[in-house]
Amino acid sequence: MGTSGPSGAVLDARDLVREFGVFRAVDGISFQLGSGEVLAVFGPNGAGKTSLLRLLSGELLPTEGSVRIDGDLLSRADQSWRLNLGVLSHDSFLYNHLTAEENLRFYGRLFGLADVSERVQSRLEEVGLWKRRDSRVRTFSRGMRQRLALARALLHDPRVVFLDEPYTGLDAHAAALLNEVLESLKDGDRTVVLVTHNLSKGLMLADRVAIQVRGRFEHLGPRSGVPDNGFEHFYREVVESVEVPA
Amino acid sequence: MRGYLGQLSAIVWKDLVVELRTKERILSMGGFTVLVGVLFNYGLDRSVVRPQDLAAGWIWVTIVFTGVLGLGRTFEMERSEGALRGVLMSPVPRDAIFLAKVLSNFVLTMLAAILVFAIFGLFFDLSFGSHPLVLLAVVATGTLGFTSLGTLYSGVTAGTTMGDTLLPILVFPLLVPMVIYGVTATAGLFAGLPVSEVSGNLRMLMAFALITTFAGAGLFRFIVEE
Amino acid sequence: MQLGRIGISAAILGGLGVLGTLFLHWMVFFWVPTEATMGIVQRIFYIHVPSAWVAFLAFGIVALAGAVYLWLGDERLDQTALAAAEGGMIFTTIVLITGPLWAVIAWGTYWTWEPRLTLTLLLWFIYLGYFLVRRTTENPQAAKRFAAVVGIVGAVNIPLIHVSVLWFRSLHPQPVVLKAEGPTLHPDMLLTLMVGLLSFTLLFLGIFLLRFGVARMEYEIAYREARGAPSPAPSGSPASPAAPSSPPSAGPEAAPSE
Repeated sequence: MGTSGPSGAVLDARDLVREFGVFRAVDGISFQLGSGEVLAVFGPNGAGKTSLLRLLSGELLPTEGSVRIDGDLLSRADQSWRLNLGVLSHDSFLYNHLTAEENLRFYGRLFGLADVSERVQSRLEEVGLWKRRDSRVRTFSRGMRQRLALARALLHDPRVVFLDEPYTGLDAHAAALLNEVLESLKDGDRTVVLVTHNLSKGLMLADRVAIQVRGRFEHLGPRSGVPDNGFEHFYREVVESVEVPA
Repeated sequence: MRGYLGQLSAIVWKDLVVELRTKERILSMGGFTVLVGVLFNYGLDRSVVRPQDLAAGWIWVTIVFTGVLGLGRTFEMERSEGALRGVLMSPVPRDAIFLAKVLSNFVLTMLAAILVFAIFGLFFDLSFGSHPLVLLAVVATGTLGFTSLGTLYSGVTAGTTMGDTLLPILVFPLLVPMVIYGVTATAGLFAGLPVSEVSGNLRMLMAFALITTFAGAGLFRFIVEE
Repeated sequence: MQLGRIGISAAILGGLGVLGTLFLHWMVFFWVPTEATMGIVQRIFYIHVPSAWVAFLAFGIVALAGAVYLWLGDERLDQTALAAAEGGMIFTTIVLITGPLWAVIAWGTYWTWEPRLTLTLLLWFIYLGYFLVRRTTENPQAAKRFAAVVGIVGAVNIPLIHVSVLWFRSLHPQPVVLKAEGPTLHPDMLLTLMVGLLSFTLLFLGIFLLRFGVARMEYEIAYREARGAPSPAPSGSPASPAAPSSPPSAGPEAAPSE
């Protein structure tokens, strides 16, 4: 732990390319994130955002290029890098017929955690579900599931967290609750990559902003360089410079 | 190794708890078995054939049919909320995931197999011979190979538009050795043959179980990973 | 786009195979002596046995190419497996047609549980499963991996199936005695069989290469449609600089469900 890669970055993506048969979903993406940095990736449908996230989280292996987390190369050989990353997707990855606590304990055992009970309790308290720990997940609302899914993603205290459209299907109240918890991620020194097409929510969290179109980053820069109220206009300009609107 | 077994048992535990709570597969397999017994009764003229002569074959074919019914749903609960993706993102070796799935499926299919013996024994007044443990070993070994094959292929069919209906077409051709050696051994034991007469069959069933389990453990990652 | 070297090889091998097969039929009908005990129907054996050989050869290629495909991920290996499977399916079907034709005259019944015929029937179903998996898998990339797995698992189980059906046969001897085609074959018959094996192998290789070439072209077309440029991988055809390059802007919104 703590031994960063040669670049000093926690998350280091280099020249990522991923092809599915003849289709090239990710076409040469490179970036580095340090400890505590939050990158928001925006882009239209079919831009390869989800493929990028699946590459970064090791779910897919790149056709070309490499991903390193804390200096460890993501590969199929040694899988210890999996301990350093957590994923929150629009799917909850939860079992409906297990209780909230059972779900977390199950994942705790998969990650080989020593102090499962304490971790489960503190995570459930953080997301405000400790009182509902013995309820089965199928009785949960969409918002509660998403908070429990976040507790699951953070259970093993990963250094890097990937968020894939976490707001999908949440009402305003649930989204606000989720955002509160996500904000607390920034206070720790966690590195976060957030993929979404919800511009306003993404901007709230981000330090850096990328716009992905057709598998490439057409824009990558600090949050501060992005015009606050004109972002939507800027986003559309970037997208339409590459992609003719249908 | 302890970590491996811990992860493996976590998955087995989860599968069995979910099954105990939903009872989906237990109920459908159990009900299927009893009803097949009833139908067989009317598909047979007892004045011409003795059930005892056909029992071994019926039993194995019923185990295969009821087994395929349950195995086809192996990845059902894993898909609903993308849970398998979550499991795959944890540092669990892929073969451990496969073996865990085989084990929980094996428990379920063995329960069904024992029920098949009980129901057929009751309905047709069968005598199971004097070596129940050897019989159990024969059934367990055959079931293990069958379960490995069914678990691997249910991972395949879960990704197709045909779903479970494709499973028998993939699995049945490869079950011929299991049915041949299983039925012959079972019939021999029913008829009171000495154990030495069926030990060769048991060895062939072990070969079947080893081949399918190793092939499954090695190939499973190509089913679930891209 | 042309089939190029693959097409020429396919034409040569397939052509030789067709010529050989015609010659084989001349031998079977006019030249080879009639087998004494089985009579004239035995002549179908010169079609039946070579087809069975090719059916299993093809399945070996399917399993091997599938295994290496899983290892290396090269599309050409998957196309090899597909081409072999389609060729193999044809010859497996020929075995299943000629076997019962022989059986009905030799033994008076269309179907006997002759072990090799049984094994071929099961092989036919394994091929069927292989094609169904390829066709019905929703994710096109997964379809190739799934099919490879089906091919490999089928292949590793075939020896055990073979042993078990032989053993079952020995337990339950059939009323008709089957004389295995032992080493006592008349030299002319042996020669005819050899011509059959050679011609069918050539014919299969021709079909196989042709199908492989078509698969390469399909891939190339899909690639150009998706990327608007020829694929960089050697497509099998000799590099033709005159190949028309479609305008690079013409990329469709192709996005597989990933």
